Amino acid sequence: MSARQSDPVTGLYRTLLAFAAIGIVLLTAGLIEFAHFEPIANSGLHARIVGVYRYDTATGQTSGANTQTFARADDFAAVVDWSGLPDKITVQALWYDGFQNIVGSVGPGHPSELRDHTTIPADVPPDLKFHLPGEYIFAIERIVDGQPVEVLARRLVEVERS
Amino acid sequence: MSAVRRPVMANPRPRTRPARYAIAVVIAAVLVLVLIANSLLDYALLDSIAGRTSLFGLLAVALIAVATFIAVRVLDRDPAQRRRHAVRAAVLLGFATLLWLLVSDFFLFARAAGPGVAAVCALACLPTTAFALLVVRRIDRNEKEPWRLVLVAAAWGALVATSLVIWGESFWQSIAVSTLVPGPGLDTAQAFSAGLLEELGKGTAVVLLFLVMRNEFDDVVDGIVYGAAVGLGFNFMESITYMTNLYAIFTPENSGAAAAGFQWYARQVLGLFMGHATYTAYVGAGIGIARQLPTPGKKVLAIVAGFVVAIAAHFSWDAWLTFFPIGTGAFVLIGVHLRTLLMTGPFTAGVIALLVMGLRNESAALATQLREEAATGSGAVLPQEVDILTHPWRRFLERYRALDRKGMAAYARVGRLQAAQLDLAMERWHRARQEIETPLEAEDELRREILVLRRQAAF
Repeated sequence: MSARQSDPVTGLYRTLLAFAAIGIVLLTAGLIEFAHFEPIANSGLHARIVGVYRYDTATGQTSGANTQTFARADDFAAVVDWSGLPDKITVQALWYDGFQNIVGSVGPGHPSELRDHTTIPADVPPDLKFHLPGEYIFAIERIVDGQPVEVLARRLVEVERS
Repeated sequence: MSAVRRPVMANPRPRTRPARYAIAVVIAAVLVLVLIANSLLDYALLDSIAGRTSLFGLLAVALIAVATFIAVRVLDRDPAQRRRHAVRAAVLLGFATLLWLLVSDFFLFARAAGPGVAAVCALACLPTTAFALLVVRRIDRNEKEPWRLVLVAAAWGALVATSLVIWGESFWQSIAVSTLVPGPGLDTAQAFSAGLLEELGKGTAVVLLFLVMRNEFDDVVDGIVYGAAVGLGFNFMESITYMTNLYAIFTPENSGAAAAGFQWYARQVLGLFMGHATYTAYVGAGIGIARQLPTPGKKVLAIVAGFVVAIAAHFSWDAWLTFFPIGTGAFVLIGVHLRTLLMTGPFTAGVIALLVMGLRNESAALATQLREEAATGSGAVLPQEVDILTHPWRRFLERYRALDRKGMAAYARVGRLQAAQLDLAMERWHRARQEIETPLEAEDELRREILVLRRQAAF
């Protein structure tokens, strides 16, 4: 056996390469997961978000102007026009808070089934008094086999810290 | 007693600067350009808090870069100038730290939580991080790395790497939330962002350290020490940021202190060694192994492998954290511990395995070199000293005996003698493996220094 073959650094090198192989498996699993949840889908359809407004939880009515930024104590809701979407597709509308938690939703269902649900409020999480601050996403998603495959409309809203 | 010049390090630097310095300069220049471009882009396009941070944080990054350069000179320059360089580096680092804290506080989270909260959070994280740095430095039982370099590594992790990450991740996130379907896919994309950008940001510090201070970068053990130090620095700053952020968020709910306290426990106790320290230790391990490999191809592969493991470990935590059930009620506490242990524990075990293998290799090689040096009869290492020098505990007992007989100064003198003898053995090891570019005279100079130290230690 040659001196180079018995070099103990070679053992370290091979161990690291073995760890890297495991790492590549993990990263590949991540890519597969990403591809599964983010399929390349483009139906060419677009939903219409009329706006995001202040919302009165008691009456269920929106008020004021279409707004981009809210305080933590403000209640707000998105207003959607479902009429532009074909009824053959399945859709849902969701609010995600800054931590990617779902804090409000409508659907899934065909657009005709959702026509009575044009106002979708963002709810304050249970056990909390105010909305969490951060960037909220309101997304209208097309659903295929129970899984969202495409965002038909999206609106970002900032909930301020103070 | 006359003052004695510090012994030459293992692998002292040649008079002409090697090509790796040019690589380091190129990497540093690219980094600065990326930082400037990123910050301007963020500021112009994002118009967000992070964008403003980008612009104002540039000065802190520049100060850190200059301080690092001066801190490195502290090790190499004439002893008379060391103190001056050390003071300059410390002042610049201090300014940069303060500036970054100010930027971080006022333009990110503490604007809501207040600078007092940020200071309390920093104070809470300081003892745990200092303890971890102490442990990490001590695991290199044969030749401890200089505190200055360990602290520089931690400072890079805390200030420069976090700056890079804020910009990169802000930009990535702004694109991801505007284009991807929210949910698991977006979570995975953000986990890739964290794994890639944070490990590249931290790993660049380790690469630069290796390129500039290869004399202090002997093998996989040193790589793990420097990598973990960078990770601990990053974890320190990230802990402060998360604590102040959560405090600000949950104070209106009357649970700000509890949220910050839990974050402190999760990051500064539970995840102290098992988070960023583990990830970046892999980068360091890859560079340390590359240091001792014979061919450029293998060197590059080892460095890439280290980065891949670090990125994968970080990614898997961020991507699949939510899939691990942590239970409800009282089981949450058990679940949180189990989750960290099971998801990050295997990676930490991997680092420990590399460390144990590296220490075993290093100890065996140093024992061989010490025996061969003793056999030359140069007097730098005596035959009866070999057994002592190869065992950390016996080295300590030898120093303790000196302390017992002649006090603290004798303890320090014996310590310096032992360190110089191990430096010599390390140098011989690298020369035997043809990993050294310095002339043989450096070894002779080191032997002469050891003889002087031996005479001093005898009195």
